[in-house]
Amino acid sequence: MTFEPKIVGILCNWCSYTGADLAGTSRIKYAPNVRVVRVMCSGRVDPTFVLKAFADGADGVLVAGCHPGDCHYIEGNYKTIRRIALLKKMLADYGIEPQRFRLEWVSAGEGDRWAQVVNSITEDVRKLGPAKIREFSASTLRAAGARSHKTA
Amino acid sequence: MAKLKLASYWAAACGGCDVAILDVHEKILDIAAAADIVFWPIATDFKYSDVEAMPDADIDVTLFHGAIRNSENEHLARLLRAKSKILVAFGSCAHIGGIPGLANLFSREDILKRVYLETPSTVNPEKITPDPRTAVPEGEITIPVFHDAVRPLNQVVEVDYYVPGCPPTPAQIWNVVQAIVSGQLPEKGSVVGASEKTQCDECTRKKQEKKISGFKRIATVQPDPDTCFLEQGFLCMGPVTRGGCDTRCQLSGVGCRGCYGPPPGVLDQGAKALSAITSVIESKEEADVQRIVDQIPDVLRSFNRFAIPASLITRKVL
Amino acid sequence: MKRISIDPITRLEGHGKIEIFLDDDGRVANCYFQVPELRGFEKFVEGMPIEEVPRVVSRICGV
Repeated sequence: MTFEPKIVGILCNWCSYTGADLAGTSRIKYAPNVRVVRVMCSGRVDPTFVLKAFADGADGVLVAGCHPGDCHYIEGNYKTIRRIALLKKMLADYGIEPQRFRLEWVSAGEGDRWAQVVNSITEDVRKLGPAKIREFSASTLRAAGARSHKTA
Repeated sequence: MAKLKLASYWAAACGGCDVAILDVHEKILDIAAAADIVFWPIATDFKYSDVEAMPDADIDVTLFHGAIRNSENEHLARLLRAKSKILVAFGSCAHIGGIPGLANLFSREDILKRVYLETPSTVNPEKITPDPRTAVPEGEITIPVFHDAVRPLNQVVEVDYYVPGCPPTPAQIWNVVQAIVSGQLPEKGSVVGASEKTQCDECTRKKQEKKISGFKRIATVQPDPDTCFLEQGFLCMGPVTRGGCDTRCQLSGVGCRGCYGPPPGVLDQGAKALSAITSVIESKEEADVQRIVDQIPDVLRSFNRFAIPASLITRKVL
Repeated sequence: MKRISIDPITRLEGHGKIEIFLDDDGRVANCYFQVPELRGFEKFVEGMPIEEVPRVVSRICGV
């Protein structure tokens, strides 16, 4: 079976989600690999969301928001810039390849750019193969004879 | 009233939790008056075979410290679970993995190689590494199997209560003991002996508006003793760490490192720390933000010092 | 050959066990001291900022 990357896209409501809509209404063809989650602002993207996506089996994560200066909430995407810069370092420390995670700016008018971004991350992740984060932690736990994981 | 039967055990631990129990000082006599110690390796001479001989659920309360690092730790976790009515994950290692959990950023093989073959103080020309079974002229001797990853107690057995801290403070331990003796324990699964709020709530340092224009390290800059560490640009995990320790580290002149674990509702302490601390960086330019975050060495171990095995991603992908 | 296991050694910091083998006359023929414990501080402090190391290695022994 050929590997089809599963990518979680977390998109801001005002620019990127609308941009993805435009790609659809413009009938642009692009890779079907991104599962979209809509949030009100890319500044809402807690790094927890990204780790959770990887922990639950995503092969890649794409965060998209308004271009800097265009945020519907004036400053939201500046917070995104700051968080993502450090999150990338944390993901590297976890041994997750940098190509698996991206922050992109896609405006409401950039349907073609949305399609291009999705195609590009899909190809990057396809080259890397499955992320195996979930499988790897599960297998080391199995090796340790773990019972099912129950958290507090 | 019959006396309580109390046990205390260390798995992959440093013994600091046991010493913290002894640090209740003369109140230890009150504990001895209310409870019989039936197993406590640091202080009494009961053997594993004594525990195995007990009927199931014979011990009223077991305080279990230490992470699950090897097969002996796991065996004792399962054994003490079966023999205890109440099993308490006591201290950071049993609660969230603790310092031994940092080993989850390395492979089992790399750890063994470093420890037994490479350290400058090691003389091992025959390159002997630990074998679970060793044949000797008299028969076979065994040691535990070193696992691939470190786990907190609740990933191995069901845990009734959690007492956080590295180590838990004696005052909090006393609160927990009183709750046990009086039978006034909260709902099963609760964190006891800690606050429901964060460190910042009890920190006495002066706090104003948080804006970080650069990160500093205590190795190179002396922090002001009265001002919030974060406002000075020093890393402090206070905003994402459960309170209850009376901010011991902050009062000692260093930022909180997170040993009390995440406050209620936080899924991943490291990710939340990253979220809270980076959002107040004072810059809007990508290149400038990059320059500022590059001042933080060793991101994952700085932001998630104690809780990696209990986080969303429990170990480095190797 | 009789075997006596002291498992665990108690009232000290850390984990240890002793296996004693007795000969037919009940005298000690051989004895093995084992440390069934490893956490790997030597490895997991690698790459850590130097000022952070004291607060990590203090958890080697808390007694």
